[in-house]
Amino acid sequence: MPKHIVSGLKYLTAVELIREGLSQKEVAKILEIDRSTVSHYLNGRNLSWNSIEVAEIITKFCPKDFLTLTYALLNDSEKTRVIVKTCSKKSYKGSVEESCIGCGLCVDTCLLNAIVLDDLKARVDSDWCNGCNMCRDVCPTDSIKILEVNNGY
Amino acid sequence: MVELKVDQDKCLGCGNCVVACPVNGSISPEVASGHGSKTEETIMMVENGLIKLFNPDKCTKCGTCPLFCPTDAIFLE
Amino acid sequence: MVTNTKEVKGKDICVQRVSPEEKRELAYKDDVCVGCGICAKICPTEAIELGEIGAIERTGVDESKISIDETKCVLCGMCSSPCPVDALDLKLDEKSIKDMAEYPKLIKSAEISDDLCIYCKACETACPRDAITIARILPERSKLVTGEIEIDKDTCISCGICEEMCPADAIEMEHHEPTSSDPTVSSDIKVDKEKCVYCLICRKSCPVDAIKAVCRSCSYGDYDLNPEDTETTGSSFIDEEACVNCGWCQEICPVDAAKVEKAFEGELTINQDKCEACGTCVDICPCNVLSFPEEEFGVQGDKLQADERFCIYCGACENACPVEAIDVKRTAVKHTPTKSKSWEKQLSELKTQT
Repeated sequence: MPKHIVSGLKYLTAVELIREGLSQKEVAKILEIDRSTVSHYLNGRNLSWNSIEVAEIITKFCPKDFLTLTYALLNDSEKTRVIVKTCSKKSYKGSVEESCIGCGLCVDTCLLNAIVLDDLKARVDSDWCNGCNMCRDVCPTDSIKILEVNNGY
Repeated sequence: MVELKVDQDKCLGCGNCVVACPVNGSISPEVASGHGSKTEETIMMVENGLIKLFNPDKCTKCGTCPLFCPTDAIFLE
Repeated sequence: MVTNTKEVKGKDICVQRVSPEEKRELAYKDDVCVGCGICAKICPTEAIELGEIGAIERTGVDESKISIDETKCVLCGMCSSPCPVDALDLKLDEKSIKDMAEYPKLIKSAEISDDLCIYCKACETACPRDAITIARILPERSKLVTGEIEIDKDTCISCGICEEMCPADAIEMEHHEPTSSDPTVSSDIKVDKEKCVYCLICRKSCPVDAIKAVCRSCSYGDYDLNPEDTETTGSSFIDEEACVNCGWCQEICPVDAAKVEKAFEGELTINQDKCEACGTCVDICPCNVLSFPEEEFGVQGDKLQADERFCIYCGACENACPVEAIDVKRTAVKHTPTKSKSWEKQLSELKTQT
């Protein structure tokens, strides 16, 4: 069953990446699947609609659950990043206050590798942040704020 | 957690620890000059020839009393 | 979920956090720690607690001077930065933050100039932490001797006075009992030229003038010596781990060869009314700042005195004092710059709290 959910998530990601203009070859490379599988996905073959439905439900979980569940299913940081970021519809902006002590706990916690330390201060890369807030939860000095950004409005 | 302890079997009742203790001295100055305490507020006192802890919670674990005890009857561990 | 692990080796402590991103490791060395408690004060997560330093240092209580709660520690390294003796060190992927420009570190140093040092060893003796080693090579004594003696064995009566008088044990007689075949008391008298310092005590004490002095320079002076032959050479070494930058070496050096830069400036005040003369502070102070000077010869005084020339304002004495008779104030904390506002603030707060 977990295998099927992963397929569903990969399907959703493949469809979205193609929509964004990537070629089938590129999508196959990113998701580490055969090019023919991408083709099958796009034609709705070799995949049960149930798997897709379950995957769709997962993408609608709160960002933290979506991320941790996907990571648990794939156990692969890079693919988790692509799937979660591609299937997340919302954008987030992280801001870090001066009270940050640069302990790096957020860096080590972030499953999307969206945080780096610059001169003992954390910096959140909005391109990768999916708003899971795990960084905020572990921060010992409550220095991180993650806000949802209203796209295009 | 370091605690102040006494072993009455070893105690000679000499009172060196009572006099040496800096906290006792600040609570009851007459103790520091070798006289009996006028209060029961000091950390330890000699009672019936043996050392007894009255207020061990006031001890700051400075380690002075063990240095003056001739028989290791008062110690920190 | 990233979690910390703690390893305790003897009294040393090591807290680690390993993630795919990096490895953070905080190492604490108990033998280096002076128990000042600055780490406990600056820790932003209250993960460090100062132990019962008096009991540990004075009565051999078998505990580390600090304890680190690995469930609270976030491996930020803020404790290691202001540690005046570098007992704490945070390493990021095996590299110490003390070698990283973005992390502030205390500006402190102690060095002995080999150009100026005359290898008198005063600093080695004075250093309260036994951190200094002076290795010296003395000049060859024989090169400083300006002449030699000769004994006229025909005149010598073998009295042995020169042998007894010689301060360098350079004269040796071969004593024996006289016999009818050899009615003398000594078969020979020898001068060890390696030992003889040409002091001429032998010649002056010889009752029969059997000793002749042969001066190499025809004059009893040292102007014929090669200056290089008279020089003491050597090297100095400061064990940086043991050094606390107290300044004893600088104060005691007769030729200003030792230079010490201290990270903290401040003031130490003793409240004589409160002091019970228990001596805890004297035993705790890593710099031999505090003492009870003798009031009269041979009588131990009970009035606490501080020599602030040697104080590093670490505050260990204040923390250890059981009756709050000592107040240590820091007025300056000198450190390399940091762009982090929080680090700057925490380091600056060490000025107000001791």
